[in-house]
This record gives sequence, C-alpha cells and structure tokens, in this order.
Amino acid sequence: MILALVVMTALAFDFTNGFHDTANAMATSIATKALRPKTAVALSGVLNLIGAFLSVEVALTVTNAVVKIQDKTGAPKAELLADRGSGLLLIVLAGLVGGIVWNLLTWLVGLPSSSSHALFGGLIGATVAGLGWAGVNWNGDGSKLDGVVGKVLLPAVLSPVIAALVASFGTWLIFKITKGISARYTDKGFKWGQIGSASLVSLAHGTNDAQKTMGVITLALIASGDWSDTKNIPLWVKVSCAVAIAAGTYLGGWRIIRTLGKGLTDISPPQGTAAQSGAAAVILASSQLGFALSTTHVATGSVLGSGLGRPGARVRWGVAGRMVAAWLITLPAAGLIGAVMWWIGHSIGGLAGAIVVFLLLVAASVAMWLRSRGEQIDHDNVNDDWDSPPATTPADPAVKEAVRVVAAN
Amino acid sequence: MHNLGFALDGAWRVLLAGLVLGAGLPVLFALGIRSLAWGAGEASVDATGVTPGAKRPLGTAVGYLLFAVVVIGVLLGLTFIVASGFGNKLSFENIYPTIVPK
Repeated sequence: MILALVVMTALAFDFTNGFHDTANAMATSIATKALRPKTAVALSGVLNLIGAFLSVEVALTVTNAVVKIQDKTGAPKAELLADRGSGLLLIVLAGLVGGIVWNLLTWLVGLPSSSSHALFGGLIGATVAGLGWAGVNWNGDGSKLDGVVGKVLLPAVLSPVIAALVASFGTWLIFKITKGISARYTDKGFKWGQIGSASLVSLAHGTNDAQKTMGVITLALIASGDWSDTKNIPLWVKVSCAVAIAAGTYLGGWRIIRTLGKGLTDISPPQGTAAQSGAAAVILASSQLGFALSTTHVATGSVLGSGLGRPGARVRWGVAGRMVAAWLITLPAAGLIGAVMWWIGHSIGGLAGAIVVFLLLVAASVAMWLRSRGEQIDHDNVNDDWDSPPATTPADPAVKEAVRVVAAN
Repeated sequence: MHNLGFALDGAWRVLLAGLVLGAGLPVLFALGIRSLAWGAGEASVDATGVTPGAKRPLGTAVGYLLFAVVVIGVLLGLTFIVASGFGNKLSFENIYPTIVPK
C-alpha cells in the first residue's frame, strides 16, 4: 500500500519533470515561431517517449550521488528494510513530494529550475530528517566527482557559464557570417537548424530524466520485496515512466516556456539555432565525459548566451537574476519540504503517515493548479510581448514592477 | 576540495567540446546558408523591375556540402545518445568514432 503511494508519487514527479523541462528544448523554437506551440510540445513529447525507451542502462544507483540509502550494487541498505522497507519508502516518498511541490511552485512563478535538483533536494532533506546528517553523501570519497558538492553544486555553478560561453560565441559568429544575406535564406535555413538542435535536446532529456524515476521506483520495489533484480527494471515501470514524462512534456509548462523564450531575451532564428546547438553539444559532451549537468541550467545559460552574443540584443538581467535565485534555493527549499514531509509521515507513523503525506501533496498540487487559473498562460498567449503594458498602471514603480512580474507569469 | 579539481577538469573539456561542436556546427550551417544565397545569385532591382542574378552552381554545391557535414555531426550526437542508452560509449581513439562497451 505504501509502495503504491510511492509509485504514484514517483510517476507524478516524472510528469512534472516532463512539463517543467519542455521549455529547455522547445522555448526557442516556439518563440521564433519555427514551430507552432502545439507542434513543438508534441514533437518534444514523442522524442521524450522514444528517449525513455532508448536507455536500457539501469539507473538504479541514481540516489547514491547524494544520499546513502543504497549500496554500490543498488540494493537498499539492510537496516532500512525492516517492516517491508517502510523506512526507506517513507524517505523516498517524502523526497519525491519535496521535488514535486518545488517543481509546481517554480512552474507557478514561471521559473525554469532543475527537476533533478528538486528531486535530489527532496531526497537529501528526507534523509537528513530520517537518518541524520551522516546519511547524506556530501562530498564523495575523493576518488571521483561525487556527492552533493561534486554532482550537484559545482556542476550547477559551472554549467550555465559553459553553455553561455558556447552559445554567445556561436551567435556572434553566425551573425558575422550571415550579415547582409536576405532574410529569405536565413529565416528558412535557421528554422531547420533550430528544429534539429531542439530535437536532439528533447531526445537527450528523455534518455536521462525518465531513467531517474525508473531507478527510484525500482529501488522502492526492491525495498518492499516485490522485485529483486538489481540489473533490470520491470517493463511496466519503464513503460509508465516513459508515458508519464512524455505526457508531461506534451502538456507543456507554458509559463516556463514563456520566461525562457520571451522573458530572458528576444530570440531570432539564428540565435535559437546557436542556443539549442550549444545546449545539445554541452549536454552530450558532459554526459560522454561523466560530468553530470542539469538540462535546465544548460538551456538557460545558452539562451542567455545567445542574447549576449547578438550585437545590439538586450538581456533582461532582472529575469536572469530571479532564475539564479530560484536555482540557489531549489536544493534547500525542496530539502525542507522533504524533511517536513518525512517528519509528518514518521510522527503519524505507518500507512496512515504515508497517506497523510500523499494527501498533503494532492492538496498542495490542487491549490497551485487553481492559483494558476488566475492568470492563465497557454499555447495561445505564450508568445505575447514580454513588456506589454499592464492593464492598470499603479503610480509606485515598485508596485508596477510587481504587476509586470505577475502579468508575465 | 578534491571535487573542485575534478569539476574544473571536467568543465574545461566540456567547454572545449561544446565550442567545437556547439558553436562549430552552427557556424558551418551559417556558412552553408551564405553559400546557398551566393549560389542563387544576387537579384538587382532598378526602374525596369527585378532582374534575377546569374546562378552560381558552385555556391549551391558548397552550401549543400556544408549542410551534409552538419547532418553528420547531428548523426554523431544521435549515435551517442542511442549507444549510451544501451550501455556503450563512443570512443575517439581511432580519430573516427567507434562504439565500444562502457
């Protein structure tokens, strides 16, 4: 029963992961109208689905990067297995809830934050609450890039910078080369350049991110004694994760797409091509070199870079600053939610505790969804001008700024 | 602070690969577009109307050649995604990429 709640929560996380990250691949293509919004999310959804099935590699040890609830083979720690693994299941459940709630919150305010960070943050928080500070793999063992610092914090600082450098250099060169050529050639050409590079990012996303949820669900199954093979993932887990992430992607996180495509800088097709190719190259190169990066950080960095590289383009640093702020608090915020959820679940205890945690998640999700109905952003208005004047114009500039932010979200 | 060392070591490699592939391929693509436009000839507009320019087949050919290089680059990326999904990786030991088990 607790296991069923964990599986449902994990699939829900996978779903939020999908719609949170649609923007990474498709925001630029939608903003430049290379693809119609619905076509873009459909393409991205299909590629995520294919990507999820493409990876047969077992990502069972995904939590090992940050917490110590599994051993090296992926089997759960023996001391957590009492009572059909309820100790481990509660940590995983609380961690997932932390990740989902943070994903929904950042979606509500239209900020692209990393779904992997949200998941890791939730797990870290729940582990600290459940096992104490020593249960977290803070710094690795010194033999390779590992732990919270090596797998999460350092890449998060470096990846947007790398992506921004690559994309700004690419944009700058492209504009030099195509200067004076009629738009007839550039627009059509770069439209295809954009679609191709965005598709690569979508596919890479499907292979990486769906795997994480598959690993978490399989870990839960092993803990409860319903699965014992650490080398394979049950087929139904694979299918349901693939469908969940694809469905989430197709739904489209329009608020985030809008921020990334229109808010950060105004993107033209050549910039979109440079940004998306830069993102694809950085993501693929880093996974080839075993340097774990977040797709979100890379995509955001490269969009920013494409704004820096284009002569005369304007980057809205206020928007960029809010994004960076969201990244900084993602880990502690999701961690705090995870920890509180663990504490609530543990205090009530047993199945009742897990049910209460699950109901809290449902309540929070419904509340945020209802809140989002207020200023709806969907495929119809995703491309509206960012700086459109608000309907009412308060005199105080601070209030005006706040209204603009709300209107934009 | 061993992690910082590992991270910086990884970071400059990613940056290098990113610049070569992530900026290099779009640049080839842009050159291809420039070449195609040149190959189609420059139209001139005057009092008698629009006169299409003379076609330059070389420009068209070079343009498509450059696009082909970009497509190969993208296929390399695709191969990498699929190969790593099946537990393999690309090796560049022979200069040209080969798929080897991880």
